[in-house]
Amino acid sequence: MTSAHRPSAELIDRLAADYVLGTMKGGARRRFEGALQTELRLAQAVMQWQQRLLPLHAGAQPLPAGDALWARIEQQAFGAPKAAPRPRGLRWWQRLLAPLPAGALALGVLLGSVAPPLWQQLAGGSVDAQLPESYVGVLATAGGKPGLIVSSLRRGRVVDFKRLVPVAVPTGQTLFLWSLDAQGVAQPIAALPGGGAGNFFSLRLSQPAETLFQRAVELAVSIEPAGAAPAQPGNVFVYRGLCGKLWPMPMPMPASAPGH
Amino acid sequence: MIDDAQLQQLLSRVALHDRAALRSLYDATAGRLLAIVQRMLDDRAAAEDVIQDTFITVWSRAAQFPQLRTSPLAWLTTIARHRAIDLMRRRRPETSLTWHDADGHEHQHDIVDEAATPLDQLQRRQVDGQLSLCVGQLDDAPRQALLLAYYEGLTHEQLAARLKRPLGTVKTWVRRSLQQLKACLEDV
Repeated sequence: MTSAHRPSAELIDRLAADYVLGTMKGGARRRFEGALQTELRLAQAVMQWQQRLLPLHAGAQPLPAGDALWARIEQQAFGAPKAAPRPRGLRWWQRLLAPLPAGALALGVLLGSVAPPLWQQLAGGSVDAQLPESYVGVLATAGGKPGLIVSSLRRGRVVDFKRLVPVAVPTGQTLFLWSLDAQGVAQPIAALPGGGAGNFFSLRLSQPAETLFQRAVELAVSIEPAGAAPAQPGNVFVYRGLCGKLWPMPMPMPASAPGH
Repeated sequence: MIDDAQLQQLLSRVALHDRAALRSLYDATAGRLLAIVQRMLDDRAAAEDVIQDTFITVWSRAAQFPQLRTSPLAWLTTIARHRAIDLMRRRRPETSLTWHDADGHEHQHDIVDEAATPLDQLQRRQVDGQLSLCVGQLDDAPRQALLLAYYEGLTHEQLAARLKRPLGTVKTWVRRSLQQLKACLEDV
């Protein structure tokens, strides 16, 4: 489905209806599902037809779906029996990490578009200045959307935050920044200033960023009691993402290529 | 009853391979999905196989369809129905409507009660009021084709064979019925 042969709205609607109704045959359905991943118009049409026809099943009274069926799903999905031991020391951490979005995805998608403006900002707005060595993280929300940009100079003592999606922080609580190493071990950094209120704010570090973030693979933010100095996260993370270490590396110059 | 926003959140977490979220999603939706599939298949063991396959699909593919996750129950229902339809289509050619016992007496499998009108069948299924009203406005034959497709997973070719009408006629019935349903629901 290329842009040169974009299907009409009518065709999209008809295909979506056939897909949801169930009249589409297996092979056609699989091809359609392939297109669904990239064609937003198809996905929207499918969603609308799903919602239209869902009431046809409204009268179905739920049946008990017990633990035996779940155990089969668990076995197939996770590849391990329910009682299989988890790696020692990771149990609490997996529980905390589990609901969180894949920071890697958010960072991977956005780093290319976010990092250059950040660098320019850090460089004082001069587009010709060499990019400073920096830490940059694009942290995603629990819903998987980019939610918080975190940056600091490599040897700086100030971390800047730009909030893209706000998170409700209950009274008496505050947002708290963590660094996570390759083993998933969390190290507390500090509570965000003002509890993390505002869209752009800065945190002054007690040590140079490199000292605190040298082993960081990810950065994360949880909601913790205000004034507390937690050694471990007490709640699930509301933002999480990879900690990018952006050192401008000199690229080897290619051999001279006449004509290019 | 868990609401759509909570289901969306669970699906977002499942898309990130959060095991606890998959269990919560199962607890919240499996019973309803099982009822839908059981009604289509009339076979508890097969229905459970379909539900297992449905949740495996969700686990492995939720990240691929972010747009569809905004209507979680509808998306899960579509997955489950498609799996059930696949099973019915695999079974159908192998199932004879009649069989003979050891004494040579012919028996007939219990088949869909086609004496009841499609609207009767629809009302027996306690379908949502407005959609039921809109379906009720369709002509009899197109309505029957639409409901057979939805509840029994018949392809256009199978509908044509079942209703003894030309394929083109059946396709037109289904397409026009869907268009009329859409227009009727939008008029509400």
